[in-house]
Amino acid sequence: MSRIGVFVCHCGENISRTVDVEQVAKAAGEIPGVAFSCDYKYMCSDPGQTLLKKAVAEHKLDGVLVAACSPRMHEKTFRKAAEAAGLNPYLCEMANIREHCSWVHEDRDMATAKAKDIVKLMVERVRKGKSLAPITVPVTKRALVIGGGIAGIQAALDIADAGHRVVLVEREPSIGGHMAQLSETFPTLDCSQCIMTPKMVDVANHPNITLFTYSEIEKVDGYIGNFQVTVKHKARSVDESKCTGCGICMTKCPKKKIPNEFDQGHGMRPAIYVPFPQAVPNTPVIDRENCTMFQSGKCGVCAKVCGPGAVDYEQKDTFTVEDVGAIVVATGFKLYTIDRKPEGSPIQGYGEFGYGTIPDIIDGMTFERLASASGPTGGKILRPSDGKEPKQVVFIQCVGSRAREKGISYCSKVCCMYTAKHTMLYHHKVHDGQAYVFFMDARTPGKGYDEFWRRAVEEEEAVYIRGMVSRMYQRGDKIVVMGSDIQVGVQVEIEADLVVLATAVQPQDGADLLAQKLGISYDKYNFYSEAHAKLKPVECATAGIYLAGACQGPKDIPDTVSQASAAAAKVMTLFAKDKLERDPVVAKVNEKYCVGCFACKKVCAYGAIEEKEIRDRQGNLIKKVAYVNPGVCGGCGTCQATCPSKSIELDGYTDEQIMAMIEAL
Amino acid sequence: MNAKANKNQVTCIEPDYYQAITEAIRKEAVKILKDETVVGVVGYLPGRRKGTASPALVTTVEEAEKLIFSPACVNNLSVYLTKAKKGVLKQGKVGIVAKGCDMRALAGLMTESQLQREDLFIIGVVCPGVYGFGVERTGTLTEANIARKCRECTVHMPEGADVAAGTHAELADLTPEEAQEMARIEAMPQAERWAFWKEHFSRCIRCMACRQVCPFCYCEQCLCDKNRPQAVESSPRPAGNMAWHLVRAMHLAGRCGGCAECERVCPMDIPLNLLNRRMAQELKELYDFEAGLTPVDKGPLNQYKEDDDQSFIK
Repeated sequence: MSRIGVFVCHCGENISRTVDVEQVAKAAGEIPGVAFSCDYKYMCSDPGQTLLKKAVAEHKLDGVLVAACSPRMHEKTFRKAAEAAGLNPYLCEMANIREHCSWVHEDRDMATAKAKDIVKLMVERVRKGKSLAPITVPVTKRALVIGGGIAGIQAALDIADAGHRVVLVEREPSIGGHMAQLSETFPTLDCSQCIMTPKMVDVANHPNITLFTYSEIEKVDGYIGNFQVTVKHKARSVDESKCTGCGICMTKCPKKKIPNEFDQGHGMRPAIYVPFPQAVPNTPVIDRENCTMFQSGKCGVCAKVCGPGAVDYEQKDTFTVEDVGAIVVATGFKLYTIDRKPEGSPIQGYGEFGYGTIPDIIDGMTFERLASASGPTGGKILRPSDGKEPKQVVFIQCVGSRAREKGISYCSKVCCMYTAKHTMLYHHKVHDGQAYVFFMDARTPGKGYDEFWRRAVEEEEAVYIRGMVSRMYQRGDKIVVMGSDIQVGVQVEIEADLVVLATAVQPQDGADLLAQKLGISYDKYNFYSEAHAKLKPVECATAGIYLAGACQGPKDIPDTVSQASAAAAKVMTLFAKDKLERDPVVAKVNEKYCVGCFACKKVCAYGAIEEKEIRDRQGNLIKKVAYVNPGVCGGCGTCQATCPSKSIELDGYTDEQIMAMIEAL
Repeated sequence: MNAKANKNQVTCIEPDYYQAITEAIRKEAVKILKDETVVGVVGYLPGRRKGTASPALVTTVEEAEKLIFSPACVNNLSVYLTKAKKGVLKQGKVGIVAKGCDMRALAGLMTESQLQREDLFIIGVVCPGVYGFGVERTGTLTEANIARKCRECTVHMPEGADVAAGTHAELADLTPEEAQEMARIEAMPQAERWAFWKEHFSRCIRCMACRQVCPFCYCEQCLCDKNRPQAVESSPRPAGNMAWHLVRAMHLAGRCGGCAECERVCPMDIPLNLLNRRMAQELKELYDFEAGLTPVDKGPLNQYKEDDDQSFIK
């Protein structure tokens, strides 16, 4: 006969409000094999855990059931307590009478009856449970950082400075990301390039960092501590080991009128190019779509002028496999495409704003480039259509963001601040100009942020109009902006020379595909999901993968850098151990009865199942059976559900346990 | 070889058609045994009673010369590779005589890693049909004595076999009795359908012949024999019978090759192939899957595709 202890938690009032916990404890005490039962206000508190430990010793308990919240919340807590009391931690289970019961029911009597049932069946699971020992796996102390924006750069530098090797993979030809495009940054108005480019150089020069630009993640195998990541190195058409970065190829390239992506299409670049002069690495790449050599086979100027002979038109995509122990995902954001509805997307466009048809309606990032000293206008605010200095500029906030009817209900967080910054930059550069801002709210939490915003309004003469814009159209060389001022309650019409839209922050294209490769979850907007909104903000639910920056949600630079350093700290915590202990909830094969149909192998999402040969003493093959690599097994139980002969079972969730639970009901 | 194409007339396939297949099988079997391509051939020998045939493993040229094919060759021989004569494949490559429906079983077993194509020499039979059960088993094959499954056969040509024995016979359109019966059951109100199967299953004596003869029931320990924990009650009582037949049908979903051996061997005449076919129909509708003559990488229920039909989740 077993001696199980049942501990029923009130969870303050979370459970006891709807469930009669005393009755549940009393009923549990009457189940055969339960030697002790009690209830307590906060089981997870120190006195609660002490109560549990004492009861194990006093009543010689051989199994523990805590009826409280979800095991995701406190299973570890109570298993530790049980272990401290001398029990095998896996003989401690939790019955979820909060999320599964008190929180979802109102009728006290019925909720109490349900709680009793949950306890009853979980007692059976404890009774049939077995002692398990944790699995240890080695840790490869080398990290992969995906994305070379400020988030990826910060994370890579922090990990590398701690003495661990880092592989930084960037999709574009240069690292730097969006921060390299910005002019000046709020709330201190320091030059973005001045603080960004030294960090980029640090990355390039760091002995612990291997930098792969113009590369993408092809495939991810393995598990925490032991990932094998296949990286695709896209063909640059320039040999990085030979190129000296002299730039003569770019000056001699006959095709020079290609809109530069870095300048949001407002500057021009040649077909062989580096995105911007401070690019790291300073190795050009050939844009094959626009290169005459690739399109017609006639040109070859860059190869002729290249001294070291680095230009290679025959270069092919190559692949390498990187062994890493941890992955930091820092893929960043893109700005909302506002002119039309993207294909297959639930998001509606803003056709009524005329973006894309009226050249002087631009987005915030384009304004950054116009205001930037390294931009297409050399830092002068000149409008794209005729190159004249705009005297009236209208800024519109929340374009796309906070517009449920358009498909995005979240706040993009950075627009209030950068619009205030734009009005200031504009005022600094065009002294006789006037900035108007249409806004819903000004959201300025953050150190020095509200002061910054007030300065824009009070000292820099920006006119803030609370209300939204309904329509914009071209009249002569002006743009007529029609909107409403809801504070005064009148319709407003402004003749603007330039309109700047603060468009929503969205995850990068392909964020969902990368998430599928990594096996991490993402929300309906394709932002990556953290494991816990409050307590695990940089971890993914998939062990060994961490998040940094705007790929997890809209963020400004200070928040991004903080999160990147936090993710780096998590990686260092992981790398502080030589071996990892893993939960032993993994599948095991009954080799006697396995017939080797390998249905389990076909359905295993983790690739944990291998074929194993069983041979007799003479070495003759008897049969092939399935074998589960315990380091790789994720403990999902799909194999158990699939096996036709029930020859594979998940420890802690055996058929015997499940059947006993069903029969208890 | 004078099958009649007119469906208003009774089908009649003369014995000399089968004789031609017999000759072809013998020739091929003798050849592959002589040149040691195979260590043995699984085929049919004449039964002791007239009009019967019995499965056999022949290993000599003399025996191979006695192999036959007749409408009495009803058995699906693939079980002789995995269950009945399991050791034989360890000796070397084996030849097997296979009708179209048996070929589907072989393909399924290859999909499930139970057989390797390179270990087999398949003598495919261009089969016009075999006898049904409980019928006169002599002389010509007619609409009166052809097996129910053969009326709707789509695999007369054993494509993918190493050699094909026989030539394509012109076959008459036969009444699809099985399809009609399925439609009849489908049209029943749910309660009536439930009662129909309940009545059939209640007669089951749990002799497990359906399991023993099934090429796909190759587990060394059947789930239904497991007693710790027990999933299915083992004695022949209604609840356990129902559970067994549901488990059997579910385990065959997406795998069953439609040889209908389970139905043939059932001493209680439970129409088991109707269940199998209903599951196959479900798989066709949901995942556009049909058991074919060649192995696949993953069966329909062992893979996930983004565009999988999810409508059954309610």
